[in-house]
Amino acid sequence: MSALTGTDAPGAAGAPGAPGSVVVIGGTAADATARRRTIRATSARTLARRHLAGRVAVVLCLVAVAISLTPLVALVAYTTSRGIHALSVDFFTHSIPAGIPGAGISNAIVGSLIIVGLGAAMAVPVGIVTALFLLERRGLIAGTVRFAADVLTGVPSIAIGIFAYAVLVEPFAHFSALAGSFALAVLMLPIVIRSSEAAMRSVPRTEWEAGLALGVRRGRVVRSIVLRGALPGLVTGNLLAVARAVGETAPLLFTSIGSQLFNLDPSQPTAAMPLVIYAQGTSPFPVDQLIAWGTAFVLLVLVLILSVLARLVAGRLNRHAR
Amino acid sequence: MPDDVDPPAPGAPRTPLTVRASTLEEIPPAERTPVAGVQEALRKRGSRRGGRLYAGLRWGGATVFAAVAVALVVSLLTSSSQAFSHSGLSLLWTGTWDPPHRIFGAETLIVGTLVTTAVALVLAVPIGVATAAFLAELAPRWLAAPLSVLIDLIAAVPSIVVGLWGLLVLTPVFAGHVEPFFQKVPVLEWFFHGPAVGPSILLAGVVLAVMILPTIVALSRTALAGVALTDREAARALGGTRWQVVRRAVIPGARTGIEAAVTLAMGRALGESIAVAMVIGNLFVIPHSLLHPGATLGSAIINTFGGVTTGLERSEVIALVVILLVLTALVNAGGQLLLRSRAQSGHGT
Repeated sequence: MSALTGTDAPGAAGAPGAPGSVVVIGGTAADATARRRTIRATSARTLARRHLAGRVAVVLCLVAVAISLTPLVALVAYTTSRGIHALSVDFFTHSIPAGIPGAGISNAIVGSLIIVGLGAAMAVPVGIVTALFLLERRGLIAGTVRFAADVLTGVPSIAIGIFAYAVLVEPFAHFSALAGSFALAVLMLPIVIRSSEAAMRSVPRTEWEAGLALGVRRGRVVRSIVLRGALPGLVTGNLLAVARAVGETAPLLFTSIGSQLFNLDPSQPTAAMPLVIYAQGTSPFPVDQLIAWGTAFVLLVLVLILSVLARLVAGRLNRHAR
Repeated sequence: MPDDVDPPAPGAPRTPLTVRASTLEEIPPAERTPVAGVQEALRKRGSRRGGRLYAGLRWGGATVFAAVAVALVVSLLTSSSQAFSHSGLSLLWTGTWDPPHRIFGAETLIVGTLVTTAVALVLAVPIGVATAAFLAELAPRWLAAPLSVLIDLIAAVPSIVVGLWGLLVLTPVFAGHVEPFFQKVPVLEWFFHGPAVGPSILLAGVVLAVMILPTIVALSRTALAGVALTDREAARALGGTRWQVVRRAVIPGARTGIEAAVTLAMGRALGESIAVAMVIGNLFVIPHSLLHPGATLGSAIINTFGGVTTGLERSEVIALVVILLVLTALVNAGGQLLLRSRAQSGHGT
């Protein structure tokens, strides 16, 4: 780049006989000095221009940061400011539909916990065991399973919802929380598999080998060394999967479908927070919309707590590893 | 394997710890070392049941996962077979959705999906990559670290909340200010004509952009940070200014990673259903302006499936799911392959 030419070593320019030196063509030492001065001046000019370009670029990047943060922060701030007005003791303890004083969403909160809890109970064991499979096997089968997990991560949640409807709702002609849990489990499964595999891969191979060298059986090595060593990573990955599942609407829309009643039986249609937001948010009445904002706020706080927890666990993992 | 103690390799020095005895009793109590104790304990546990149980578990997990993946594809294909045998692939380029006359076409929805995704990418990609470049390269650490955490956390905001915000906050703003403004701009009016009602292709694209922005920023930031230090130093040594290093060395070096980020974000935008359904207006027509209401595959599934549980129409809706699935699977497989080629060629070089 041009800046380099300005920093020519004086010795090289002052020795006209040096082979390959630019100065050879020009003649006297005075010419060489003059030429060097020109080069320095030019490079100083372009350097100023390049610094200016850099400053403009930084300003443009700052503008981009402002543009990208504005809607994101506004979204969270607005949801908080509207949602807080909906909160009351009744909001958390009653399960009365909107429009009646003392309306509450306790049925949706409990419903969400049941549906997501059952979903996690299905996805986490299967996911971790599949991750172990990927960890211990190489070759075509493992490659195919891994690729399927990657592609399944991107399957639209509505497609998973329709799938759960087709296998668990339609044959029984009955909506249920269990069908919703299954849909969320399918949604979580690839996330659990890939994050668990990454967590377990971070356990040093030497620790496996140390266990095996002591004559410990493979199953025991996995339980006591790999799973324990990967525990923080496993917790992080699974918490993030749960955080994603708890906010999903589309898989529940045609499976657990929602309910006005307080319900603890997973075989029955059950309310969930995202379903309440969808139903009340699309209503034209401000009282209903207020319920939607309140529910959105509660959901946001829940997701935020899960994400922060996941981060804290991951942070501890990193400190531990160093 | 654990039961067999390999003989020491030839030439390896024998350590005094190695005690050779077939049972514990053959060793005098004084000479019982920990190794002998471990060997004995292992011998007593004998069976290989545990190992087989563990192998069975692993295969079982992988089988359940594979079965779910296969069942997903098979059940959606069988449920939509009636639709595909009714109209064949002409479903893809038929522009009318008219259940009473048994005419079903997904063209308007496919166009709607592609246009909203394009709007989202046009808005989110430049802003997202510039934000990532700022956070990864240009910002001081005290600013970059908290902003990155903030954006990562916002990436977890559920799409239904973004949709709610789009519906209740953005719609009136768009109807009152943004859309009338675009109608007046001379060149843009070709894209932006028609009544400013609020719910529109444009609004859906903006909501999708807000949704995919954190994804693009987070993944691009990782890709940029992964560019080798030697690449930066080389560019710096050639006399590049700080921005030139970013522009000429770091961004090209992270190109595959950024492309993968964009592809994955695109997959998300194509497949989003609930938030789009709330703001797009749900009209099954080919949009001639970004201000027109429209529909996407995802929003159409949400809005039509609820009322339909039997017959040809239900099968046609599930055919929409299949089209959406193929579309997103193609995009995501492309993204994964890009990520993988990047991992193979080392970080960004």
